[in-house]
Amino acid sequence: MINIVILVIVGGAVGAMLREFTMLMVPPLSDGFPMDIFVANIVAAFLLGLVTALHSRKVLSDSVNTMLGTGVMGGLSTFSSFVYASVVLAAASTQSALVALVYVVVSIVVGYIAVIAGLKLGGQDKA
Amino acid sequence: MTALDVLWVGLGGGVGSLLRWWIGRVVGERYHGSFPLGTFIINVTGAFVIGYLSVLFTVAWHDRLGTPLKAGVLTGILGGYTTFSSMQLDAAKLTASEGARAGTFYLLSSVIAGLAAAALGAALARLQG
Repeated sequence: MINIVILVIVGGAVGAMLREFTMLMVPPLSDGFPMDIFVANIVAAFLLGLVTALHSRKVLSDSVNTMLGTGVMGGLSTFSSFVYASVVLAAASTQSALVALVYVVVSIVVGYIAVIAGLKLGGQDKA
Repeated sequence: MTALDVLWVGLGGGVGSLLRWWIGRVVGERYHGSFPLGTFIINVTGAFVIGYLSVLFTVAWHDRLGTPLKAGVLTGILGGYTTFSSMQLDAAKLTASEGARAGTFYLLSSVIAGLAAAALGAALARLQG
């Protein structure tokens, strides 16, 4: 139990810092599309699929899966910033509302494709 | 980004992730349906809190570093607490076990409820402020 707690805290801390470093490397787009959050979320979804598949094939142990899957990938991705940015953009102007709509739809679709791609690459046909 | 920002983001991310794991566990012990209720509750409550705090303390959505509130709470705790990747993995699992309709319903309901919760949190803070 205490081992899991430590793995999740350490993984989550590393993941959140990686998210910030990732976001700082992505240039902002002129139309307000939150490309930085988008990139962090898509990368995390892909890697979580990969980790999950490798864990199911017993390539990764339970502990590594907890630290990487629950900790690092959970910390790397964020849902709160994703929806809040969309709400603010949607309320700002008609043009930015359109950007918000595209952002939400593209995030859902590409995020799903990313997790499936990760699962497949890790050798798992089904989630 | 300063070294102090990195520290706050890391500390908050650790605490937020632990909270996510713990709530997921508590929900999983009580609810045994196929709908990924734990992740759903976590994401919707986190969305409400970020909307509420951002408006209450007038923090712009793209402003995420510089103070303990922004780096530690908004970027760290709430970013670590909520998760986009687990939502997508849950959706993939649900699609595999219950079909594409169930997976799509889960994704759409998570995002719509999350958007509504963030807007509601912001509206509540405006009402107070």
